Amino acid sequence: MKNFQIRSKIVNGVAVLYLKGHLDAHQVARFEKEIVRLIRDSNFKIVINGQELNYITSAGMGIIMGYIDEVREKGGDIKLCSLAERVYETFDLVGFTEIYDFVADEQVAIEKFSHVPAQS
Amino acid sequence: MSRWPLKNSAMFPPNPDFSITILSQTQLLKMVVELTRHITTLFNFSAPEAQKISLAIDEAVTNVIKHSYCNDSDQQITIEYFLAPGGVKIRIFYHGLPPEIADEEVNIGKMIKKKKKGGLGVKLMKTIMDTVVYKTIDGRNCCEMIKWQKSI
Repeated sequence: MKNFQIRSKIVNGVAVLYLKGHLDAHQVARFEKEIVRLIRDSNFKIVINGQELNYITSAGMGIIMGYIDEVREKGGDIKLCSLAERVYETFDLVGFTEIYDFVADEQVAIEKFSHVPAQS
Repeated sequence: MSRWPLKNSAMFPPNPDFSITILSQTQLLKMVVELTRHITTLFNFSAPEAQKISLAIDEAVTNVIKHSYCNDSDQQITIEYFLAPGGVKIRIFYHGLPPEIADEEVNIGKMIKKKKKGGLGVKLMKTIMDTVVYKTIDGRNCCEMIKWQKSI
């Protein structure tokens, strides 16, 4: 079984990334590759669903930090939803919870984009 | 008020209770995390505390692999665990370049503007652990971290 899995789908014009498992420095290149692909394809409204994510290090958080400005400049955002408590705590330890939009539910995260036209 | 009245690094034994030497490969990080979580849980750290300590060790070893060894996977890293009532001291020994540790507080807003992807690991280490010190011991570079149990 793979330690980390990632898949994505487009819902109402919003790209939803599903992260599963253990995201550390060894796995982070796959996460970055997926974020870069979404941005290259002009998907700037991104929701990261971490319902099945059980571990994240600064490597994974650094990817979000490294691309958030570019995404926001294009009128989009990276929102995070459905995180397990211990994963949310890791984001909170570095202060991400004050800067990024954390939402309890995927549907709510998607709906928050509904009035935001993204630039291309 | 602490459950353990004495929080003194002199409480730790002179020799490690457990040590492991690994190659500088990121695929081994998960094993180090599981090992650290197991050791700290056995020594009465709560599951959330053990999880955080494991994360701090993951960050420290990742820094060594990436910055000290420049992702050279043939180098060695030795991790030593010293256990005392109410606390754990962990030393990570390595050769290569010492990491650049900024003294100033990490500013996430500035890092976002600079599109930086790194720099959060040391913040995590310092936030989680009670002490984080980089030094040289017997000619070897060492990252030493101490964590005391919280009062119950």
